[in-house]
Amino acid sequence: MKKRILTLLILFCLVITGIPSAKADDDEWYTYTYNYWGDETASPDSYSVTNIFYGRSFGEEVGTFNDAEGMFVIDDLLYVCDTKNNRIVEAQYVDGTFELVRIIYTVNVSEKNKEMLLVDDNITLTLHSPYDVHVVKMDEEKREKMFGSDHLGKMYEPPIPTPTPEPEEGEGTDENADADKAATTSDSEEADDGEDGEDGEDGEDGEAGETGEAAEKPVEYKENVVKKTLDRDYDIYISDTENNRILHCDYNLNVIGVVKDPKDETLKEDFVFFPEKFVVDDVGRYYVQTRNINAGLMEFNKGGVFTTYVGASPVTISLAQRLWRRIQTKKQRDRTKQYVPTEYNNVALDPEGFLYVTTSTLTEAELAAGNGKPVRKLNAMGQDILIRNGHHFPIGDVEWEDVENIKGASAFVDVVIYENEIYCCLDATRGRIFCYDFQGNLLYAFGNYGVKAGCFVNPVAIDKLDEKTLIVLDKKTGTITLFTLSDFGTLIKDAIDLYRVGDYDASADVWSEVLKYNGNYDLAYVGVGRALLRQEKYKEAMDKFEVVRDATNYSKAFKHYREEQVEKHIVLFLVIIIVLIVLPKVIRKVIRLRKEIKEA
Amino acid sequence: MKNFISDLFDLFTGDGMKHYLKSLKYSLYMILHPFDGAWDLIHENRGSMAAAHTIVILALLTRLWDKRFSSFMVNRTRWSEINILMELATVLVPLFIWVLANWCLTTLMDGKGRFRDIYMATAYSFTPYVLIGIPMIFVSNVVTMEEGVFYTYFNTFALIWCVFLILCAMMMIHDYGLLKGLGSSIMSVAGMAIIIFVILLFFSLISDAVAYFISLYKEISLRAS
Repeated sequence: MKKRILTLLILFCLVITGIPSAKADDDEWYTYTYNYWGDETASPDSYSVTNIFYGRSFGEEVGTFNDAEGMFVIDDLLYVCDTKNNRIVEAQYVDGTFELVRIIYTVNVSEKNKEMLLVDDNITLTLHSPYDVHVVKMDEEKREKMFGSDHLGKMYEPPIPTPTPEPEEGEGTDENADADKAATTSDSEEADDGEDGEDGEDGEDGEAGETGEAAEKPVEYKENVVKKTLDRDYDIYISDTENNRILHCDYNLNVIGVVKDPKDETLKEDFVFFPEKFVVDDVGRYYVQTRNINAGLMEFNKGGVFTTYVGASPVTISLAQRLWRRIQTKKQRDRTKQYVPTEYNNVALDPEGFLYVTTSTLTEAELAAGNGKPVRKLNAMGQDILIRNGHHFPIGDVEWEDVENIKGASAFVDVVIYENEIYCCLDATRGRIFCYDFQGNLLYAFGNYGVKAGCFVNPVAIDKLDEKTLIVLDKKTGTITLFTLSDFGTLIKDAIDLYRVGDYDASADVWSEVLKYNGNYDLAYVGVGRALLRQEKYKEAMDKFEVVRDATNYSKAFKHYREEQVEKHIVLFLVIIIVLIVLPKVIRKVIRLRKEIKEA
Repeated sequence: MKNFISDLFDLFTGDGMKHYLKSLKYSLYMILHPFDGAWDLIHENRGSMAAAHTIVILALLTRLWDKRFSSFMVNRTRWSEINILMELATVLVPLFIWVLANWCLTTLMDGKGRFRDIYMATAYSFTPYVLIGIPMIFVSNVVTMEEGVFYTYFNTFALIWCVFLILCAMMMIHDYGLLKGLGSSIMSVAGMAIIIFVILLFFSLISDAVAYFISLYKEISLRAS
């Protein structure tokens, strides 16, 4: 009896272990690459989520982000464009978390420069739907050289706002205006101590304003919230989209220059300038992605004068399309899709000063054929110089399944470029991030659509906090996700770094380390193979290249291998050739001889 | 048993075998003399069906071997996605449809060739593909990628040669002139398209009909219960 119970127990245990554990995403993995055939291949995580921040994580004053569109990181400072709240949140990254520095609602302007801020005949200090912010390092000396130093002096005082529906609020702002006057006339750094006490009030003020805001009403004047006083040699550029301008201020938000109303014969009479994403290079030129402009990026000089368009992609119409258009009636022609150049949706600057642009208006056919280039690197001439040597074009997902609300190819909306030219593209279609090396090989892709950690609903901006930390802004959920490079990712980064400085053997060692983590990592095989090729181990190199079907490198190795073999067996080859030439002749002769003997 | 062995022996030594080997060897003559070759193939009874089958089988094997053994530098075949029967069908089905379409058409255009003549001539025309294709498999394994263009060139050349041979053969076996020969071949290709269309139509109609009866049966059985 006991035995029977025991057997039953053992059987039961066996059955239990045999039941597969029900995991929802058993066949889904988070990080993946594409192999030669375009199959998704599971990979260890190269980035892992370390933290997620909401607006409130920065401080109670911030509240929630409302359709935040843009983000910028310089050194340890993070700027978030909280677009629908008409403000910019500045935070400092300290020990893995963010401390609020200030909330920017308004800028200051000197009496002399106040004409710059005229919007519809009102001097507008407030921001209205800022889309993007860009910060450059700029010390007093350099600024003086580039822009002169006359942006300070007597400051313009905004008029005391006319009584607002809520009298309390009116008083609040009134008080703040006074404080502002004090702060700006004497140097703002000094005045900040005195302001500390009022910060709390300001915060409440901001909260109240957030909710009751309508888009049509002009933005109410609101005092900036200053939590922490920093002294930085920065210049801040803000694309104040709904006010049709880009503001250029120093770190204390005193306006130095403004970009507005571009004048050019290519622009229509009724053109309204809506700058969205932009960058400013180190000589002060602006490259602006502008709403409703498809001729490329608008370039402005440091004085804010429109100079030219950059990087317009030529329109390519195939012969078939042209013929088809020819036979269409005018009505049909009007209804069909216009063949216009692709419109960029974002622009980024790499550490060397090259522009990277992204676009998401490409068709799947264009992407598959390689004419559609969702991410481009522009040189000074505006030509695309991105290297695309990978098995697949850098277009994000190579294969995908369309599900109910997630359809179509990847749509790149932002890109961030590392020192070693690894660039990571943000895909808004599936909330993924695709990282490519400088040759255009996919290093890893990760992320997904959703609200889980590391997934996104509507990601809009990606940036790097440092060389190992990525930061992604999701507009819909109002979250900021921090990713940190894992050991696996670090190995890949190291291998590429070593390769780029020419230390190929060390690089190969790291690549073989990578293979221990992931035996399906194609690039690692190539990396190891390259080193073997250099060490003249041709056969081994060939084997590595054959595994990942790298024909180009295989061919190189094979050429040497063939030479080596021919040299080694030269005698054998000669013998074979001689035999092949001589043998038939001998045989023929023998046959003839035998025939003659027979006949004789 | 003894009988069988002697039969087998006869097969390899008898006149049948001799004729078979001779007719097979004739393919070498035909590819170099397309007009004379094709004429004699049919009218002088130089070819044999057995040899034609052999060449078709060799062509099929060449196709498979090429996919299997040629260097990955010139060959993007993914074996996990290959169905050998489908590979064979992609050669055999068009071949059969071609012969059928050509026969249907030339019968109306007073061509002299019979069905088996068309098949035999077409099969014999595959010879260059076999003769060039098989060495090229070896060559692809001893060339680098830059030299790999030879592989492509020679294989393309083989295919062009094959098409040329088929055109010549069609002219000869049907006793056509140049224009009529070319015209009938082009129309045969159109005929192939029509045949494929009809087949697809037929299958889709049949499957619709079957689906209809199945749903009818389901409906009735559900009502009844």
